[in-house]
Amino acid sequence: MTLFDLLLQQTINGLSLGAMYALLALGFTLVYGILELINFSHFNVFMVGSFIAMGVLQLFGLTGQDVILTGLPLVGVLLVTFAVTMVSSGAIGVAIERLSLRPLRNVKGPAAMITTIGVSYILFNIILLVCGAEAKNYPNPMPTVRYHIAGAVLDLRVVLIWIVALVLMGGLYLFVQKSRIGKAMRATAQDAEAARMMGVDVDRVVMMAFFLGSALAGAGGLIFGLYYNFTSFIIGFTAGLRAFTAAVLGGIGNVPGAMVGGVIIGMIEAMGGQFIATAWTDVIIFSILVLVLVFKPAGLFGRMAPTKS
Amino acid sequence: MTNGVTATLARPFEHIPDAWRQPLGLTLLIAAAVLFPLVHTNDADIDSMANAAAYAVLALGLNIVVGFAGLLDLGYAAFFAIGAYTYGILSSFQLQPEWSSFWEPFRILGLVHKMAADTGDGSVVRFTLSFWLALPLCAGFAAFWGVMFGAPTLRLRGDYLAIVTLGFGEIVPIVVRNWSDLTNGAAGLNGVSAPKLFGWSFGVNSTPYYYVAIALVALLIFISIRLRDSRIGRAWMAIREDEIAAGAMGVNRTKFKLLAFAIGAAFGGMTGVFYVAKLQTATPEMFGFPVSVMILVMIVFGGIGSVWGVVLGAFILQLLQSWWLEDLTGWLNVLGRAVHSDWLAHIDLVPSIELIFGFILVGMMLFRRQGLIPATRPQTALSFDQQHAEIRRGGFNDLKLQGLGGDVRTGALALEIKGVTVKFGGLTALNNVDLVVPNGGVVAVIGPNGSGKSTLFNLVTGLLDVGDGSIRFHGEEILGLPPHEILTKGIARTFQNLRLFPNLTVMENALIGQHARLTTGVLQAILRPPSTRAEEAAARVWAMEVFAIFGNRLTPRVGQMVAGLSYANRRRIEIARALASRPRILLLDEPTAGMNPAETLELAEQIKSLNMLGLTVLLIEHKLDVVTTLADTVYVLDHGEVIAQGTPAEVRRDEEVLRAYLGRNAQAAAGMAPAGMASVPLPTLGQ
Repeated sequence: MTLFDLLLQQTINGLSLGAMYALLALGFTLVYGILELINFSHFNVFMVGSFIAMGVLQLFGLTGQDVILTGLPLVGVLLVTFAVTMVSSGAIGVAIERLSLRPLRNVKGPAAMITTIGVSYILFNIILLVCGAEAKNYPNPMPTVRYHIAGAVLDLRVVLIWIVALVLMGGLYLFVQKSRIGKAMRATAQDAEAARMMGVDVDRVVMMAFFLGSALAGAGGLIFGLYYNFTSFIIGFTAGLRAFTAAVLGGIGNVPGAMVGGVIIGMIEAMGGQFIATAWTDVIIFSILVLVLVFKPAGLFGRMAPTKS
Repeated sequence: MTNGVTATLARPFEHIPDAWRQPLGLTLLIAAAVLFPLVHTNDADIDSMANAAAYAVLALGLNIVVGFAGLLDLGYAAFFAIGAYTYGILSSFQLQPEWSSFWEPFRILGLVHKMAADTGDGSVVRFTLSFWLALPLCAGFAAFWGVMFGAPTLRLRGDYLAIVTLGFGEIVPIVVRNWSDLTNGAAGLNGVSAPKLFGWSFGVNSTPYYYVAIALVALLIFISIRLRDSRIGRAWMAIREDEIAAGAMGVNRTKFKLLAFAIGAAFGGMTGVFYVAKLQTATPEMFGFPVSVMILVMIVFGGIGSVWGVVLGAFILQLLQSWWLEDLTGWLNVLGRAVHSDWLAHIDLVPSIELIFGFILVGMMLFRRQGLIPATRPQTALSFDQQHAEIRRGGFNDLKLQGLGGDVRTGALALEIKGVTVKFGGLTALNNVDLVVPNGGVVAVIGPNGSGKSTLFNLVTGLLDVGDGSIRFHGEEILGLPPHEILTKGIARTFQNLRLFPNLTVMENALIGQHARLTTGVLQAILRPPSTRAEEAAARVWAMEVFAIFGNRLTPRVGQMVAGLSYANRRRIEIARALASRPRILLLDEPTAGMNPAETLELAEQIKSLNMLGLTVLLIEHKLDVVTTLADTVYVLDHGEVIAQGTPAEVRRDEEVLRAYLGRNAQAAAGMAPAGMASVPLPTLGQ
């Protein structure tokens, strides 16, 4: 492969990773924008999402990568799997908010953040205890169709992943911009107290943020499984930290920023793995996180909401 | 419920005098700790206790960072790893550089040995750093890294700090895993030397390790308590409670945050040395995120900020892991066989320890945030007599308050503000403002809301660093200095919206006010020599003198948490806290806001008395009766510009002022009113 081919190939890989991180980053950004809370449970909602999706695919009788679907059955199975995964993951997010975070809404200090670490740990260990520590072979009904572009390979499933991610992100963006509750979300992010006085049901807005963020994380978990053909209880931590970095990079609280940040982080991971060493990927990404926070804490595109002091 | 249980348990001890209880309990605890391995000779159990003690030290270290200074550190295990690997590498065969004369001085000091190389020709260096030397050395090295990690994160808000420390906590094991030449990578360090004492090696016997660990716990409990109850600990808690107020009260935030990171990291590094010496091996997996979380769970469980609490939390959770969970599993299995429940007969609770940690974190946050042993003691209620406030009219003339207002006066002007401009984006908050405060004078700044008064105060006290122009204090340029330096020069302030340290006592608030005037450093705080005791005692005396300004309103309440006091009293505490710093000029931002007319008058007269004692005052106030009582000169700000200045009477008649306050038409209306200016309701406007 020539250098150009390598760059092209890693761009394709980076965009796929980036799509996944962007979906995950949106959940951090939505919750942080409204509650100013780093939601560590989001890491493992993503992981649980990939297990839920695996269960759904298995219900369709799919195991491993042997059963290949095409045409309508493929579209149907994927649609149902995405829908079920997103709704269940969203429900988990709502349950986490309702049960463990709402009672702490007005408590100052790190209590809420510590709670999300605890919830994250609970999810992590439940999956570990119930499903075991070994990596799971992921059911994947997508046909292997490869396009050769210059010296690089573009897999059909990668294109599908891009399409799904773009549709979900576009949908979220429109929802936040145009819908009534989306406007309420943006208003709450600016000033929760004022929004409440203007008749916004803040509890409902927070619930919606958790639902949407967690649903997207679930979709991200499914995409992870389809992309790597495996899942495991440990995937949440690394992916979550990278996605969080993406959210910070794009300006936490900023919805389009999270998407761009996700793609940048995906590209860094792909290029760093190619040209430096996979073992150092996380060091590179954390260094970026620290540098951004220190020198440009508002991120590349600034915050959606001004920082409350 | 729990109180009832405690009371029942405490009943047999009730006849023990209060003064004896603490020493008695401490003696019993020490005796139990010392006798444990002699009474209970099971080596595995002693080993578990030694591990629990090591985690107690880690918890104490993290408690300084999280509990005292309020900096949430999720990567604390990194320092544990740094200490462990430093000692491990310097006391094992991992590195074997070729022998040269460079190493000779180290050989004489006993840090290295000369050893025949495996290849047969020449000699190599064998590192043999002593365990006892390694403890302080690695503590220092970890502290250095604590500062390195801490420095770039200091400006970040608390939640970002958490994620950055989490990142550092991840990077350190990755570096350890990938830098195989230095650390032997994932395979881990092997053959780390066991500690030796007078030539006797500890080997693999648990008992000596147990005593070392217990001694470390005792030492670090002592250090934690001494630091907590000192100028250092108060500065940390001030940062935790309100960072901006801490800076404005003279606490150098950068320095004290780094100090917390460094001391916390030092504790972690020390524990790393101990842990590696005991295991005689180290792998990157021993220092990952789960370890950082476990230590966090320990301090959350025991009580964030509570020294005894975190020790208890560490012991309970470690012993739960190594003793009780296995026992419990055994009992459940027996029970399962008895009741023919296959599930119970084969259940194994040991792998679910992290799940339990998760539930502990969530459960404690939801139901008992203060932990098993809360850091704050319960408050004693005031008697009816103490609650009765005697209203003190006419200020005070019985107090000397030596040293208030400063002894040295240079020039006639205390504060000289010239051509000051502040812009926020497109908004000009202050435009070319000139203002002077003569020595010993009282100057008031009035103006509609949003006219730039508080911005002016923030600029003078260093909370803003975006202004152009010049601010001279007794002839010295102070614009752009950080808040704590400005306070040290003698400018103290109060805040419009109150910025007290709510979870500290009235006395502690006033002591933090004196932070810049006290000199106790870390060593003095720990060793507490007579000079430090004297300084501390004098600081308390001065605080009581300052409280006496407000009659009996604060004096009976010095031991109370500020959060529980009335609004007016909290306003008084803020003034007292500022005065405690022995300022030469006092900046008051709406000191009487929210007070009733009687309280307002009382406070105005007290401020007047302070001025009579030589204190210069710059005041923002909306109530014109207060301004008229106090001020020699009044400046009127509108849209960031000085639109009028003069005596209170002159300013009242100024047309610009009327327009700014009441609008053009109102001015015309006021002009037509037969009673003239006197009827203009200036004093009550703006609030």
